[in-house]
Amino acid sequence: MSDGGRESERGPEKPAPQRKPGGEEFARAFVKVAVAQICESEGFQSFQQSALETLSDVTVRYICDIGKTAHVYANQAGRTESNVFDIIQGLEDLGLAQGFLGASDIEHCLASSGTVRELTQYVGESEQIPFAYSLPQFPVAKDRKLTPSFLQIGEEPPSEHIPAWLPAFPDSGTYAQSSSPNDRTTELKMAKIEQENQRRKPERSLLNLNQWLDSNGLEGPSSVDAGDAAKAKQAAAKAKQAAESNPFLAAPLQYGEKEVSPVVLPAKTKLSNDTTTGNPIVKYHGMDNHVSVLEAFAPNIEAMKSGLHDSEEGHKTVLLNTRPTVQFKLGSRKKYLGSMLDSSPQNKSFEVTESWIGRLNEKDDKKRRAEQILKESMGNLQELDHL
Amino acid sequence: MNQNQQQQASDGRHDDDAALSDFLASLMDYTPTIPDELVEHYLAKSGFQCPDVRLIRLVAVATQKFVSEVASDALQQCKARQAAVVKDKRDKQQKDKRIILTMEDLSRSLREYGVNVKHQDYFADSPSTGVDPASRDE
Repeated sequence: MSDGGRESERGPEKPAPQRKPGGEEFARAFVKVAVAQICESEGFQSFQQSALETLSDVTVRYICDIGKTAHVYANQAGRTESNVFDIIQGLEDLGLAQGFLGASDIEHCLASSGTVRELTQYVGESEQIPFAYSLPQFPVAKDRKLTPSFLQIGEEPPSEHIPAWLPAFPDSGTYAQSSSPNDRTTELKMAKIEQENQRRKPERSLLNLNQWLDSNGLEGPSSVDAGDAAKAKQAAAKAKQAAESNPFLAAPLQYGEKEVSPVVLPAKTKLSNDTTTGNPIVKYHGMDNHVSVLEAFAPNIEAMKSGLHDSEEGHKTVLLNTRPTVQFKLGSRKKYLGSMLDSSPQNKSFEVTESWIGRLNEKDDKKRRAEQILKESMGNLQELDHL
Repeated sequence: MNQNQQQQASDGRHDDDAALSDFLASLMDYTPTIPDELVEHYLAKSGFQCPDVRLIRLVAVATQKFVSEVASDALQQCKARQAAVVKDKRDKQQKDKRIILTMEDLSRSLREYGVNVKHQDYFADSPSTGVDPASRDE
């Protein structure tokens, strides 16, 4: 303890473990003043800042080490408060590096310790240099009151296995009222379950929605229980009712169940072909024999044709006989703000297409260039085919 | 024989006890440079617990002794270093006679006390440290 412990305590300098900005800095500043005073008394006239910092740091560590060792020796003797001999023992431990009178004698009496003699000598020789400032009292708890034991109070320990010299229990009011740990845990569990339930509410509604969608869907999940099937039927009936009242809730129709006019391509693509006077399409037809790619695209082209036809006939007749209109709005917002005055959506779209036509006619040159590029690409494709 | 030895030992012990208690009592009149409040604060921080003011004084005196020993060693180092310098240079340095506590001397003296101060070369004080502002201008 005495050797190894001391070595580690006096090890290489580390930065102070905890540097609180408040009290520690304050105390450190006073230590610096004290150390500077001692140095001055030794004959130094000035100092490097770093040297003073180092020396004051070592000083603080020295005090703390004395305190630690004294505390340890007190605890070893079974006491909480240190006495003179603990401190002397600690001083001897710290002074072992220098050596002192009678250090070789292991069983010497602490009262006649060499360190104490040296200290006495020092006190006799050195002149008193009182500290330059007056210090306020640090908030140090000097006498800590231990909790009185059962013996001191004069109470009987609550049960036989508790010896009387142990500190007494606190007032029963501080711990008797609280419920037993079992109750607490169950309460906690209940609270947790409730929380989970609340969390799951939206999840459940989502789940229900999913089930409902499944039951309404074209192909429900293949593995459906009888109960689920019944539920699905109910849901379907409900859905029908809902569909009658609300068209948006109607179940999606199967393909071919209802005749629907062909889908009109967006205005832009339509017009890109329209304004080029249909020449490319004719040409493509001419190439049909050779180009397999065009064959693959044939249905699309047909659709485009029909789309063109529709657009020529006029937009108002297209589509939308019984079903509610769903319009995809293309283009920037400003346009729509401009055309907001028109009430019917068909008119709107028509106007927009018209404006596009006008614009595209103006930019005919660009269109031609695009055409050329298209032709070239088709030619490339042909070459590829031949290869 | 044995009895005599024991008696002597007990007498010596009594003497030692008396000397110790005298010394502790004399500490009450002695004012160490390190104030009691500081020592109390740091002792309390390290877990030490004692209401006796004399013991606080004892620790304060011990610390003061330690610091002054370190400082005197550093002073000796400083003087030895200055004596080692060639005379011509010393004449030049005669201007700043001030004895400055430098890291170099301090780390050397602290090494004897088991404290290894690693000198940080890059963390240098300015060379004019400790010189009077008036003399610095020259």
